[in-house]
Amino acid sequence: MDNAMMIGLSRQMTLRRAMDVVANNIANANTAGFKVEHLLHEAQPADTATHTDGPSDIQFATTWGMGRDFSQGDIELTNRLFDMAIEGDGFFGIETAGGIQYTRDGRFRLDELGQLVTADGSPVLDADTRAPISLDPSVQDLRVVDGGQILENGNPVGRIGVFEIEDRARLSKAGTGRFEYPLQPGEAEPLAMFEPIVRQGYVEASNVSSITELTDMMAVMRSYQSVSKFLKEAQDLQKRSIERLGKA
Amino acid sequence: MRALTTAATGMEAQQLNVEVISNNLANMNTTGFKRQRAEFQDLLYQNVANVGADSSDAGTIVPTGVQVGLGVETASIYRITEQGSMTQTGNDLDLAISGLGYFRVQLPSGGDGYTRAGSFSLSPDRQIVTADGYTVAPGIAVPQGTRSISINQQGQVQALIDGQTAPQTVGQLELVTFANEAGLDAMGDNLYLESAASGAANAGTPGSPGYGSIRQGFVEGSNVNAVSEITSLIQAQRAYEMNARVITAADEMLSTSANLR
Repeated sequence: MDNAMMIGLSRQMTLRRAMDVVANNIANANTAGFKVEHLLHEAQPADTATHTDGPSDIQFATTWGMGRDFSQGDIELTNRLFDMAIEGDGFFGIETAGGIQYTRDGRFRLDELGQLVTADGSPVLDADTRAPISLDPSVQDLRVVDGGQILENGNPVGRIGVFEIEDRARLSKAGTGRFEYPLQPGEAEPLAMFEPIVRQGYVEASNVSSITELTDMMAVMRSYQSVSKFLKEAQDLQKRSIERLGKA
Repeated sequence: MRALTTAATGMEAQQLNVEVISNNLANMNTTGFKRQRAEFQDLLYQNVANVGADSSDAGTIVPTGVQVGLGVETASIYRITEQGSMTQTGNDLDLAISGLGYFRVQLPSGGDGYTRAGSFSLSPDRQIVTADGYTVAPGIAVPQGTRSISINQQGQVQALIDGQTAPQTVGQLELVTFANEAGLDAMGDNLYLESAASGAANAGTPGSPGYGSIRQGFVEGSNVNAVSEITSLIQAQRAYEMNARVITAADEMLSTSANLR
């Protein structure tokens, strides 16, 4: 096989992966706190077999990273006591068996002990103590005011932890709407923000834009088809040359 | 191709979403019904290139990595226990709870059930029972010849008996609360059961701190809001269509490859 075919195939492989990413974005269009992402392509220069010292005139297509869009999702009113949305920067800190994970999905609830937890029962961390937040379930006047302060009948009982992530590109998705932040050696855990804007009774929807995703999907599909066409041409060319040379 | 199965998880999730919404709408006029909300979260991610992995011999690392998500899953179907609207009926044994709490109901199987649907009536042996005939705890019997029953906000049941001028106290209703009422196990017929997630039942007097008060002559309607349900229904339907489009597109890509020859 000559290089033309291999280059076409490398492009098709990245396009398939791009399609998988678009499909995941669309599947999560109604997932609260979901952040849309796109595959980043790059041309990978490679030397031809015939001349290894000259300039590289062959470029394979590869994927090298994810571009994640951390822009604010729509904030939807739900009026539920334990629904919280962050406006602006920051992530809620969630305690899990594998360390602290971060999320923008603020659909919390109380567990059987009165702790503020996520849908899978993992506790939400307090900003100051970095410990789970325990609330009194019988209190009917529960308010979250500016800065994430929780007031039970007007008395402060804790502060919802909204953590500042320095380098968001290093976040890796852990599923269940959460991110992991792998620390580099000697790096301290992310700090809680002083004045985060936490809105009680609201949920941050995903920031998936259906029009962008559908356009992306069409673009991916069409380029895949055109690469296929090109592969076919390359194949025909090969076939024809074999036929003609064979006659001679 | 992962896109096909990813889009399939999206369609499944939206189908479940529509099922939950239709159950809410079907129960719009059910006494004491609490609406539910399907909550979704993203599924696993497949690491194609790990964040922080070595990208060359010179010690450079992959700054962002390539992670491909595998779709969406249902995290929970959450019951939203906010107060429903109150409707006046004028019936003596229609009781609505304003605030936190549930009535405890003695199930025929021996256990306890909990309900907020307070349209009660009298059984043949003059006990206060639910629409299904289950005794409302702690079991209050109204004497023969009662002309009217009055129940105050603290749950005290008084009966005015024929030939007497002063009403007579015949019992005291109680309410129970839970640490996590969304964790109660719904068994249908407007009844809930205690579960490991809800925490233990705490009984108390209506109107005391942490407990709602009782309103006689009212029933609590459902807390379903038709407008917001219809809006969610439209969203769910559009999301379903988009996922179907992804399947078509992925299929077309596969067919162009299949026709390469």
